[in-house]
Amino acid sequence: MRKPIVFTSEREMPPMAVSLADMGHNCTGSWRYMRPIYSEKIAPCKNACPLGNDIPRILSLVSEGRYEEAWRLFRQTSPLPGVCGRVCYHPCETKCNRKDFDEALSIASIERFVADACFDLEDKVSERPRRSEKIAIVGSGPAGLTCAYFLAKDGYAVTVFEAASQPGGMLRLGIPPYRLPREVLNREIELIARWGVEFRTNTKIGQDIDIEKLWEQYDALFIATGAHRSRALNIPGEELALTGLEFLKAVNAGQTVHIGKRVLIIGGGNTAMDCARTALRLGAQPIVVYRRTREEMPAIAEEIEEAEHEGTQFEFLAAPTAIYQRDGTLEVHCIRMQLGEPDASGRRRPIPIPGSDFVMRADSVLKAVGEEPELSFLSERLETSEGIVLERAQGLLERAGIFVGGDAQTGPSTVAQAMRSGRETAFAIMRFLRGERKPKAPQLDEALRVNFSYFAHKPRVATPQLPVAERISSFAETKRALSADQARVEAQRCFSCGVCNNCDNCWVFCPDAAITRIDSTYQVNYDFCKGCGICAEECPRSVISLVEEEL
Amino acid sequence: MRNFTLPSEELMGSGHLGCQGCGAALAMRYALKAAGDNTIVVIPACCWTIIAGPFPYTSLKVPVLHTAFETAAVAASGVRAALDIQGDTETTVLAWAGDGGTFDIGLQSLSGAAERNENILYICYDNEAYMNTGIQRSGATPYLAWTTTTPEKTPKTEPKKDIMAIMVAHGIPYAATATVAYPDDFIRKVQKAKSIYGTKFLHVLAPCPPGWKAPSEWTIKLSRLAVHTRVFPLYEVEHGERYILNEPKEATTLPVSEYLKLQGRFSHLTEREREAIQELIEKRWQKLLRMVRESS
Repeated sequence: MRKPIVFTSEREMPPMAVSLADMGHNCTGSWRYMRPIYSEKIAPCKNACPLGNDIPRILSLVSEGRYEEAWRLFRQTSPLPGVCGRVCYHPCETKCNRKDFDEALSIASIERFVADACFDLEDKVSERPRRSEKIAIVGSGPAGLTCAYFLAKDGYAVTVFEAASQPGGMLRLGIPPYRLPREVLNREIELIARWGVEFRTNTKIGQDIDIEKLWEQYDALFIATGAHRSRALNIPGEELALTGLEFLKAVNAGQTVHIGKRVLIIGGGNTAMDCARTALRLGAQPIVVYRRTREEMPAIAEEIEEAEHEGTQFEFLAAPTAIYQRDGTLEVHCIRMQLGEPDASGRRRPIPIPGSDFVMRADSVLKAVGEEPELSFLSERLETSEGIVLERAQGLLERAGIFVGGDAQTGPSTVAQAMRSGRETAFAIMRFLRGERKPKAPQLDEALRVNFSYFAHKPRVATPQLPVAERISSFAETKRALSADQARVEAQRCFSCGVCNNCDNCWVFCPDAAITRIDSTYQVNYDFCKGCGICAEECPRSVISLVEEEL
Repeated sequence: MRNFTLPSEELMGSGHLGCQGCGAALAMRYALKAAGDNTIVVIPACCWTIIAGPFPYTSLKVPVLHTAFETAAVAASGVRAALDIQGDTETTVLAWAGDGGTFDIGLQSLSGAAERNENILYICYDNEAYMNTGIQRSGATPYLAWTTTTPEKTPKTEPKKDIMAIMVAHGIPYAATATVAYPDDFIRKVQKAKSIYGTKFLHVLAPCPPGWKAPSEWTIKLSRLAVHTRVFPLYEVEHGERYILNEPKEATTLPVSEYLKLQGRFSHLTEREREAIQELIEKRWQKLLRMVRESS
């Protein structure tokens, strides 16, 4: 800012009207009533990710071919990008702003590509501190693994107890290998073990170890035993049906299971879809029997589509009432349903239509009507036995150093939700051990406004798939990886919502030359900014906000 | 990932007196970035007389000659002649006038300069009325627009004067349209004009938030929409005959109502009147396409 020129007499004035100085004395900032500020927002994809993966920055790295940095950024929030890139139901893509312009980014495929491209990379384990406290984690599913990873990274001695012969929980037992190849799972668990996490397999809580003992021996305890108990159908002849989860566990463990040709699967959730697609691969013809319609199915839409695409049949609005064995086959008595008023879940309640009974024949029946946590191992002293009670007692438990998370706490949910629970628990345990309080997380606004003028339409890169005939003849992974070129091109479609990527628009369009570029950032000169708002309007990704000037 | 490739040199300083969101100020900023510091600007009476700053100040980092309303082109011709006598052929002489000083009051001197093919660059920043004196209609005011002298009950009944056709008819080596939402196109045209000997004419659409009765943050949006709705197509004409169309591309074309509805100066329009404007736009567009076709 300069001083104005003051002529005290005519003699001081130039002989003709000629300029002597610039307008730098004229601080037009005083005209302003709206102030533009650079305030990065949270991208809807990142906000929707249960793990809060920094998707816009990761995609920006991928778009420049910087895959290793992208992988390391994933590992700041998630130890299982290879797993998530395959099995996560990608809520990030559902919220992607680009869906309103052409098609959402193929974020899951890119995550998988990054994990595959960095398959041989390792974490920088040497950078970790060392701490004396010991933590026991019961269960090595996504919640337990994630909790172990974050605690071990922070230097704690972590022991994970697993009932099965290999760690992984539902990822190994429940998810079929055509969705999640075991070498990917093994590799990511191996990287967690590199941080010094000890896995004790074939050790079942309540049987091989006692929870009270663990509580005595360890400084903190995380119960992440999942939801493995199948819900009952409560119909006569139920014992003639296999549980879907037992079926999947057996097949995934490599055992031979005889299910015959015609297989009825009762239920409409993800377990039911996995059962159907697994049965197809064993040469059977699966028929999914569901009491509501396709719209109400709790399974992820993509899984339903895949199951149907591969040849699964569906019998909607039907519920079994009894199962009988007759002449070496099973006779499943069903009743037709109609949809009534919405129930507590918001879905329309199925109501039996009187006199609509019919019979379906099958070689075997798989029941997959949901799973629930099995927590009978909790001792009476903990005054808990069922999930609901446990949740209510959680505050009390946490004060005692016992934490519960994942499906064991919530009932069946998704891999990403379980991982989020595992990570949050890891930080809760750290706070518990250090006597700290939970810090207030800063609330960022979501970047919802995109200026489409600065983007060109570009179709989403399709994830390559195996042809159906090849798919159902083996347990090979059905989805194939993107090529590096495809991943880069796809990542370049990212709007980078809420994250400045130095597009220069604010600087270019300022009529007052009041924005300066300093290295890779921009600065508003508030002495001169008149607050016209063009920079905020033309910012393609809502990084700039306009706030009212305080008087 | 930069969207534009603007020269970083700033020859227009902050503290100028343009209104919030002034399209004409932004246009000057681009023009000087493209023309460079070896430029002399000639400004007749117009908004920029005010924007540049009162005596004894200037907001431009190049010499400016303020001159009378009707004399932009002739004063620029004089500056050019003086430079030529000194053997200076490098300095760019930039006449910078509004639509009043170009379409109406300065037209005869501009026509004279063009006829003599004076070696000057004439840029008309068109905000479609006499804005700094209080939004009076000019020959550049669009059909049926509100101004203070064409109030809502009797809006302007004459279509906007086709200044490009007039200038092209002089057979000058280069005439082009540009607007502030397309900085790269703007800069390229100024640089191209600079490289050509003779009279170069640039018609620049410069949205005016107070005069168009639109929020200041929509200056770029309106400029972009003017192009997308074919109200203001971006094109070049070489030697009075070779037409080159730059924008809009077919895929991005929008109905003119998308442009009109954002501006208070068109808020009184009836459906029928909007259709009449659309017809006028379509007619001019077809004529432009014909010229492009015939010259290729």
